[in-house]
Amino acid sequence: MSNSIGTPLDGVTPETSSPNNILQLMPVTLGAAALAACGGGGGSGETPPPTPPPLVPPTAEQAARFLNQASMGPTREQIARVQSLGYRGWLEEQFALPRATSRWDWLVQKGFDAATYRNSEAGFDAAAWRKLIASPDTLRQRVTLALSEIFVAAIDGFIGSGWRSFSAAAYLDMLEANAFGTYRNLLQVISTSAAMGEYLTFRGNVRYNAATGALPDENYAREIMQLFSIGLYQLNLDGTPALSGGKAQETYAQDDIAGLARVFTGWDYDLAGGDTSTPEFKRRPMVQIAGRHETGAKAFLGLTIPAGTDGVASLNQALDFIATHANVAPFISRQLIQRLVCSNPSPGYVARVAAVFNDNGSKVRGDLKAVVTAILLDDDARGAAGLTDPAFGKLREPMLRFIGWARAYNANSASDAWAIGDTTDAGTRLGQSPLRSPTVFNYFRPGYVPPNTAIGTAGLVAPEFQITNESTVVGYLNYMQTAVSRGVGDVVADYTSLVALADNAASLVDELNVVLAAGELGASTLTTLKTAIAAMPGGTDAARNNRIYAALLLVLASPEYLVQK
Amino acid sequence: MSRHDLQNASRRAFLQRCSALGVAGSALPWALNFAAMSEAAAATAADYRALVCVFLYGGNDYGNTLVSYDQASYDAYHALRPTLAYSRDALTGTVLAPGVAPRDSAGAARQYALAPELAPLLPVFDAGRMAVMLNVGTLIQPTSKTQYNNKSVPLPPKLFSHNDQQSVWQSSLPEGATSGWGGRLGDLFVAGNGNATFTCVNVSGNAVFLSGRTAVQYQVTPSGSVPLRGLSSPLFGSTACSDALRSLITQPRTHLFENEYNRVTSRAIGANDQLTAALAGAPALTTPFPTGNSLGDQLKLVARMISNSSALGAKRQVFFVSLGGFDTHDRLLTVHPDLLTKVAGALSAFYLATVELGVADRVTTFTASDFGRTLTGNNDGSDHGWGSMHFVLGGAVKGKAYYGVAPAVANNGADDVGQGRLLPTMAVDQYAATLGRWFGASDSDLLAVLPNLANFNAGTRNVGFLG
Repeated sequence: MSNSIGTPLDGVTPETSSPNNILQLMPVTLGAAALAACGGGGGSGETPPPTPPPLVPPTAEQAARFLNQASMGPTREQIARVQSLGYRGWLEEQFALPRATSRWDWLVQKGFDAATYRNSEAGFDAAAWRKLIASPDTLRQRVTLALSEIFVAAIDGFIGSGWRSFSAAAYLDMLEANAFGTYRNLLQVISTSAAMGEYLTFRGNVRYNAATGALPDENYAREIMQLFSIGLYQLNLDGTPALSGGKAQETYAQDDIAGLARVFTGWDYDLAGGDTSTPEFKRRPMVQIAGRHETGAKAFLGLTIPAGTDGVASLNQALDFIATHANVAPFISRQLIQRLVCSNPSPGYVARVAAVFNDNGSKVRGDLKAVVTAILLDDDARGAAGLTDPAFGKLREPMLRFIGWARAYNANSASDAWAIGDTTDAGTRLGQSPLRSPTVFNYFRPGYVPPNTAIGTAGLVAPEFQITNESTVVGYLNYMQTAVSRGVGDVVADYTSLVALADNAASLVDELNVVLAAGELGASTLTTLKTAIAAMPGGTDAARNNRIYAALLLVLASPEYLVQK
Repeated sequence: MSRHDLQNASRRAFLQRCSALGVAGSALPWALNFAAMSEAAAATAADYRALVCVFLYGGNDYGNTLVSYDQASYDAYHALRPTLAYSRDALTGTVLAPGVAPRDSAGAARQYALAPELAPLLPVFDAGRMAVMLNVGTLIQPTSKTQYNNKSVPLPPKLFSHNDQQSVWQSSLPEGATSGWGGRLGDLFVAGNGNATFTCVNVSGNAVFLSGRTAVQYQVTPSGSVPLRGLSSPLFGSTACSDALRSLITQPRTHLFENEYNRVTSRAIGANDQLTAALAGAPALTTPFPTGNSLGDQLKLVARMISNSSALGAKRQVFFVSLGGFDTHDRLLTVHPDLLTKVAGALSAFYLATVELGVADRVTTFTASDFGRTLTGNNDGSDHGWGSMHFVLGGAVKGKAYYGVAPAVANNGADDVGQGRLLPTMAVDQYAATLGRWFGASDSDLLAVLPNLANFNAGTRNVGFLG
């Protein structure tokens, strides 16, 4: 139920709302959810507070904290950049950066468009990792990754005429290109992309067939509403459920899905007069085949697209209607906050961001650049209250831990092979890998509550804990032990900046604390780390390296690091 | 067991878990090991029972799993999905010959065949060790089509939605539920197990099914648990660093998320020591399992764990394994037969392994899925449905038999709500109650484990497929 909007709804389930319910399956109340404000201070009230310009430059720790939310991970270079430009100035610099070589173009440069690769996934993981680790537009990469976990597609579902790597590259390139555009346009390019047509199976979808009784495939119609736009229940601007008579109100029913499914008929690859022997068709928007498109009326969510409306016009009308639904702003804003800043944004935080989603100040709706700015500059994200609130922040997802280490120490692939591969194996790798979610529901759901935990008792959600288990916690540490010391493939770090510090355990640990953990390691942890590292031999290159490797692993294992504040 | 007793049992289990694992991750791994060793000695295999849930993620297409075979039903099936139907000739080798023919709601006898790819299960059925469940699905209470159409009774929330119906199947509540009926059955028996950790074991990741109100699901890979290298040998040559690592990753924390992460890590470290030892001491398993079959890999680990359950101190265990890919909106004729081949190979091997281990009558395996699918097609696939067909295997199963009512093969007929989306006639709660009763739960336990069960007449709660 709360797959998209978290625990607030749990308390209104008829079976569980009674305090006398002996099962107490979901002992969450609306009151508890309201307490789940992740900002500590600044979380209440609907009035957007003014954001004053910084009077003093951020400290290195503050800059690193900001970069943990806004980028693929802090580096000394970017920390200095944030300190120099201020938060808003840094965002503007990042927004203006040109896009680097696309994943698609890199695949072509490397020859993965040769016929021999047509039925493989060769090259994709490398193309994805290369961007995540090395692309200078670190804010755009972070938002792209976030979008890929909301508008989920995955390479194993790109089935149709081969070239999966190119479907995957085109999909991520498309999210990246539109990451700072409008939501409406994002919905358009997703809904016409060959990759999504393959993944949610509406490519080749045909109108009702009276002879066989076959109806249009409902897959995309369902998920675009449930996951990509409005969610299951009517929402207030602050992301809480809009109740009627104490009950949550469903946004759509099966009839709406069947009606909308008729819009997603007739779409297929644009071969542009060519064929499928080269991957080019995978990055062209799909086109309409009129004979397959439903010609009858299409009714959903109270909109009726008249009979006889063609496929392109029907899609435009449908997406216009969906994109202006009142749920979209809180539904998408809340999830973006969860991907960037914290798992349990306060209603006030969601409302402030959603208001910007609805109007960027220039009457533009769904301006993602403005939304991202509002998320990252909000007092709940920037204020100090979250640093001491025992419920603030989010568990870093494993991919971000690995990429953060790689970025912090300039990991590079000398051969440009980026042979990191698929890291989804839970026992030996990260339990997660770019564009390899097992389903359209992502690796974790925005409303996931870990069972039998104080987190659940407190009425909080913790999405990333859905992939946190006895296998993944150990698999991650084992994987990082190898990564920090030997690299992955030929992706190896450059520890030049640390070697000079390594003979002094305190200096080494303090440096890692600032860059990797935004200075959030506690005094006790710092003492533990410094004492352990100081007990190691020093004085030789080999000894210094071992100190660096051990200090890195210990920081990457520290609970204060693992939970981004 | 009264509600009061149940709460006491849960409390005992909770206290035991506290002592074994330490609330807030404060347990030291060696303390855990000592606790497990002494308690494990007390457990014996004499009273062992295991439930194994095989979840088919995505919503299995029932129409092409248990195929209507008598001529009238076959003709209706073919007419509703002409582009997706098996030919009747392809089914002749897998026609099921039960002791008593299944009957539809009008009392007419019906005939089914397994999909040809399920042929490896035919000998299990014929040996009386497999039963077929007809039209099982999520229900709040018995529901007629008139009641459905009139919305005059409560219906399961978010019908036809993957994540929610997976959750309703597993927990009786939509996504966001924090316990499932597998875990709640585990709660009843945690106290009787020598080691709480191995009561609910998930070999496929995370599923609400296995979380109890107190029982925590233990998640393990098909190759077993994962040892932490930084502890098993000095971290980059430094024992001091290994000690620091152990301290950092197992200490209690004030921050809720930090604390929970360390609780999981503490559990992982302790369980790995015990499971590694138990698997090393397990008897050889010679039954061949299919290769390249992830479900087979998972079930093989389950068999290995069961084979040395006494070393794990386990008398009652609930396992969860899964196979994904059943959301066959398209390419059904390519994808689905391959999936069924995997299911049949894995289930057949697992049943034979339990025979080899001499525990076949102590292990009951059952299938589950998000939902069934539509019977009408959408060109080359089928869409989300509701009721479905399921299988139960094991030595305790009263097999070579059908349970439930055979649904009419129709589009908006007597037993479907349109497009062949079956309105279930057997509730998941009844299916679960039958499994739970065999597992050892009392009737009153089951009412607490299965919140909708009370809505079904007492005489119908146990479907009767287990002895």
